[in-house]
Amino acid sequence: MTEVSEKEIGRRQLLARAGKAGIAVAAVGAGSYLFYDPSAPTPVQDAERLVTLPDFSVPAETGRTMSVVTGPDRIRTVDKAIELLGGVERFIKSSETVAIKPNVAFASPPALGATANPELVAEVVRLCYRAGAGKVIIADNPINDAASCFALSGIGAAAARTGAEVVLPTDSMFKYTTLDGGKLIRDWPVFFAPFIKADKLIGIAPIKDHQRAGASMTMKNWYGLLGGRRNIFHQDINTIIAELSMMVKPTLVILDGTEVMMTNGPTGGSVSDLRRADTMIASCDQVAADAYGCTLLGLKPSDLPYLAKAQQAGSGTIDYESLKPKLTTIS
Amino acid sequence: MSSSPGAAKRIESAISICVIITLFLIGLAILIRQSDADMSRFGIETTAADLSGAGADIGAPIATALEAFAPSGFEAIGQTQIYTEGNLYEKIDGKADFYTDAGFASLSTQRFVSKSTENLWMELYVYDMGGIRNAFSVYSRQRRPDVPTLPDVQFGYETANALYFVHGKYYIELVGSAESDELMDGATKVKKKIRTSLAVDHDAQIAELAIFAPENLIPDSFKLYISDTFGFAGLTNTFAGRYEIDGQIVTAFFSKRAGAQEARNIAQAYHSFLLDSGCTDKATNNQTLRNLDAEVIDSYGTTEIIFVIGPFVAGVHEADNQRAAEKLAEILASKLSEVAEKNR
Repeated sequence: MTEVSEKEIGRRQLLARAGKAGIAVAAVGAGSYLFYDPSAPTPVQDAERLVTLPDFSVPAETGRTMSVVTGPDRIRTVDKAIELLGGVERFIKSSETVAIKPNVAFASPPALGATANPELVAEVVRLCYRAGAGKVIIADNPINDAASCFALSGIGAAAARTGAEVVLPTDSMFKYTTLDGGKLIRDWPVFFAPFIKADKLIGIAPIKDHQRAGASMTMKNWYGLLGGRRNIFHQDINTIIAELSMMVKPTLVILDGTEVMMTNGPTGGSVSDLRRADTMIASCDQVAADAYGCTLLGLKPSDLPYLAKAQQAGSGTIDYESLKPKLTTIS
Repeated sequence: MSSSPGAAKRIESAISICVIITLFLIGLAILIRQSDADMSRFGIETTAADLSGAGADIGAPIATALEAFAPSGFEAIGQTQIYTEGNLYEKIDGKADFYTDAGFASLSTQRFVSKSTENLWMELYVYDMGGIRNAFSVYSRQRRPDVPTLPDVQFGYETANALYFVHGKYYIELVGSAESDELMDGATKVKKKIRTSLAVDHDAQIAELAIFAPENLIPDSFKLYISDTFGFAGLTNTFAGRYEIDGQIVTAFFSKRAGAQEARNIAQAYHSFLLDSGCTDKATNNQTLRNLDAEVIDSYGTTEIIFVIGPFVAGVHEADNQRAAEKLAEILASKLSEVAEKNR
């Protein structure tokens, strides 16, 4: 620098240097312009890159769409409920991968009934393996610290005991989806990776009072598949639940009404929020299951507008009696 | 014309400075752009702040980390987690609106685990509701029935696994993982620590509760609806209390407005809302209610009564028995008249 400054610089040299500097500035500016994205960072929205969850349902069998078993022991009632639909072998074939989506929404202990009962989840895993499943995975997307939710709900330990694999959500497991005919589920991230690997899908949910929706049951359980700031959907809770029932076509849903969260849902907090109803529902029709389940909360299906919306969308029937559900009691 | 070395040097320096400034501005623009990215759109992202993190600067919810409230025999697990209106749903998805609609400011949570008993733990929830009325609102609307009240707090009760109480502007829950004496003893100790060390305005009171006539009032049945009372958005800051009248459980309510005209407008709007919802007017022989120009409404087989006294919109909500409803409306009207007269 010192040497340069001491030299005589000619006009040509000065212009050359100024030109180079100008080109450098222009190059940086041009590069920045090329990389500049006038819109906010957006997810990939190309139609071909939007995903759709597979249809996991099994062929209907008359009189074997829904069962309701009453009794105090979850293990026995769920065994019976599935048996009444034709046995687990009707749903799970040898070597299949089964995804189970329990409600693991909160870091809450099993005693409070805010999440799926871990013993119930464990029994369904056992049934799947007994039917010859090659692999059982358990997945949910609780927003707040998924690992804690699985640990404190007891579902993580239940999976470990029974040989199921717990899949905790990570960013890379989400893909964008748009529901055909959907108003709310459009270009929205969905917890996809665990389910695309699966051949069958079983939803397991407790029956709970819900501050916004009125009740949280099997259809609301799919809310846990949504990523992003999904809380915005609470502003139109009935539509989002109906759309979830359109988005997810499960093999089977299990609605646990052994203990029902009657008040202060969906989080609960006190054991006094729970009431024993000793009822287990297994169903290939999620709308029918929820229509029956809401009666255990003292509600009528007409009290839950999302049931009518889901029925109208073709997700199932509110008129569960028309399915001639198998009913039995286990003392 | 030849340029002098000094001039060339100055030009070079100027160009260099321009280049550096340009690069700096580009870098700054990228930084600003990146900081605006909403990564939560791409899946999950927990944004709950802990007290040691940068995210803790959110209105300084509580001066003390909740770890300090660990009772003897228990230890705090992890750091205190703080949630604000923007991310409360991460902790209590499905119920966040219930709190935010009532003036929620922040939630701090902390788990305490038993040192001696495996899988025994409790979680402390400290909701800063911004004021005692808001705290009382969320407390009262979630109050479990038929459970013992806490003797040492104005508003508090316990269930088999949890304590719930109002401490100044805070609504506090201590939720145990199971029914356990050890947990409840620990929770009681936490409550004592909170009451002695978490500073609040002890003079803050909810004067309106004294308006309810004490005769036949069901203890601890008060509720305060900050917004959307009985599903009607126009009826806010409404107190309700349940009475047993002639063997019937009946709910009385009132909301104090800025003045008589506003009270009349709201009463009229609520009446219209009910009629639009399929309810119908019905007759009354009760002379007091007729003198008050009260509206008596058939609400799907129940009786709703609305009247105005001074700045109060008041009435009886969804009573199964019209006579009991009218009797309670008379009692409430008498009390409100006294208050309105006193405040005139």
